Amino acid sequence: MSTAMLAAPFQAEFDANSQEFSLAGVLRPRSVDEIAHSITEFRSAIEEARGVLYINVKRLAQMNNTAFHAFSRVVLDACRTRSDIRFVVVTSSVVGWTERMFRHLGKIEPQITVEVYDSKFYPGQSFVEDTSFIPILRTQTKMTWRHERTILPRHGMRPGIVMADICCGIGDFAVLVRKEFQPARIVALDHSRASLAYARDVAANFGISDIEYSYGDASEMLLEDNQFDLVTCRHSLQIFNQPDLLLKELYRICKPGGRVYITNEKNSHCLGEPRAQSIQWTYNEVAKLFAHFEMDVELGPKSRRFLAEAGFDDILVESFMVTNQDGDPQDFADVITAWENVYAGEMAVKRGDPPEFIERFRQGFRDHIFAALHPKGYAGWPIWAASGRKPL
Amino acid sequence: MNAAQRQPAEAKFEPLLQFEMEMGTFLSDWQHCDQLSTFMARMISHNRTDPLRHSNFFSSALNELLEVSFRGGTPEGRIGCAVYRHGPKERVKLSFPCPPGQRQFFREAVAKTHRNDAYARYLDALSSDLGPSREVVLLDLAINFDAEIHLEEEAPPSITIIVDLPLEGIVR
Repeated sequence: MSTAMLAAPFQAEFDANSQEFSLAGVLRPRSVDEIAHSITEFRSAIEEARGVLYINVKRLAQMNNTAFHAFSRVVLDACRTRSDIRFVVVTSSVVGWTERMFRHLGKIEPQITVEVYDSKFYPGQSFVEDTSFIPILRTQTKMTWRHERTILPRHGMRPGIVMADICCGIGDFAVLVRKEFQPARIVALDHSRASLAYARDVAANFGISDIEYSYGDASEMLLEDNQFDLVTCRHSLQIFNQPDLLLKELYRICKPGGRVYITNEKNSHCLGEPRAQSIQWTYNEVAKLFAHFEMDVELGPKSRRFLAEAGFDDILVESFMVTNQDGDPQDFADVITAWENVYAGEMAVKRGDPPEFIERFRQGFRDHIFAALHPKGYAGWPIWAASGRKPL
Repeated sequence: MNAAQRQPAEAKFEPLLQFEMEMGTFLSDWQHCDQLSTFMARMISHNRTDPLRHSNFFSSALNELLEVSFRGGTPEGRIGCAVYRHGPKERVKLSFPCPPGQRQFFREAVAKTHRNDAYARYLDALSSDLGPSREVVLLDLAINFDAEIHLEEEAPPSITIIVDLPLEGIVR
């Protein structure tokens, strides 16, 4: 087999600035000769490196023993000739076998360590993966679903499609979609084991066996290119510190002609009457607080630009307001209570805000709840829904 | 009876999928190992707890086995691969023509996966200058995929490697 045939499914690259040698894709050569060029590049990278060389295998979907041994040999040899250099192999918990295989190298040479990159992941992860948030996520989805069930068909949802719900959280959206629109296949992916366990339990309790819940990293998915008619990713670009990277992955797995559907907020546009000023102040501060943790909860109206820059065409953007008029006002109040607990009780504290700020911050949430439950009050939470078509 | 010949005690594995093809056809293209392992992994993983990751793990393991048969097989005869399931385990039964001189090699290689020094042997092999042998591949399956490996030799000239993979437990 020629090296040209192998070139397509895998990539080997060295980034001299970050001293990182990356292997990605499927690497199953018959002999070392077929990957000789990459091995030479790897040797050059080691020669060039000072201090520490990162070996990034987090996007390495497959590697056979021939390739593993060849690359391992280079690292192990280098350990014997370059005592001045450390090797850090960066693996992913999603591709579990890489962690298992590469960790052996550290047993042979202590200069080699193995890190699981997604154990750190992105700055806001710990807040959104907190299991105490699960009940409120269900209420949120219940409230947004009243709007989205009529919006989704405009964005490519229809019976019989193959769809993926990326960053599916506790999986309730996938269940609702399945019931309402009967897609032929649903893959639902998230990076929270606790949320997925919850999703699987709910599915089992309702006798649902045809949603494929998968543990995965939305920015480094195992899913192959061009698979899905519709890819949904709700409320997630806004909490990921590199939304463009996430969108690139959504684009990749979408079929040409298929659509990617995203929802995001603009938190500073949350509103309520009475006590509008206090509410407005707090939600302006929410946006700043999230920005501190590298999350952009003002992303909603920027969706069009993000989709266009990711390469989508036929972009559709619309917004809807979840309000205290939708069903039970107490549901709205419960959502805001949960926001107050996490945003004022955890995030502001972690940022190091003084008690007087936190008290004023809390007051805005309480006023929003007051507006929601007031017999003549109005409380709103605006959401932007957008989709783009992957060009044919 | 040595460790390599010992048969798994339970017999409750349900058949999932199997293929058979002429060995000559199989050996005509190295890519068959990758293509068959990827296809079979997808087919048998769809109703696992995490189909995507299960398929990824299973494909890794099956590909190594197919590569073993590719490297050691002869063009005469047929290759057959069947996958069975029992609870959290998949069983792969891979049969392929094996020259008489290689049968003892497989017996020993499989036996070594059961020995206490399997991990030390595996580390030694990683440190060595030589490329991975078929013996190292079997050690890899035992160590990195928690595989239980056995041999079945009832129908020479073929040899059958039986590999039990508890991947559902690893992937969850």
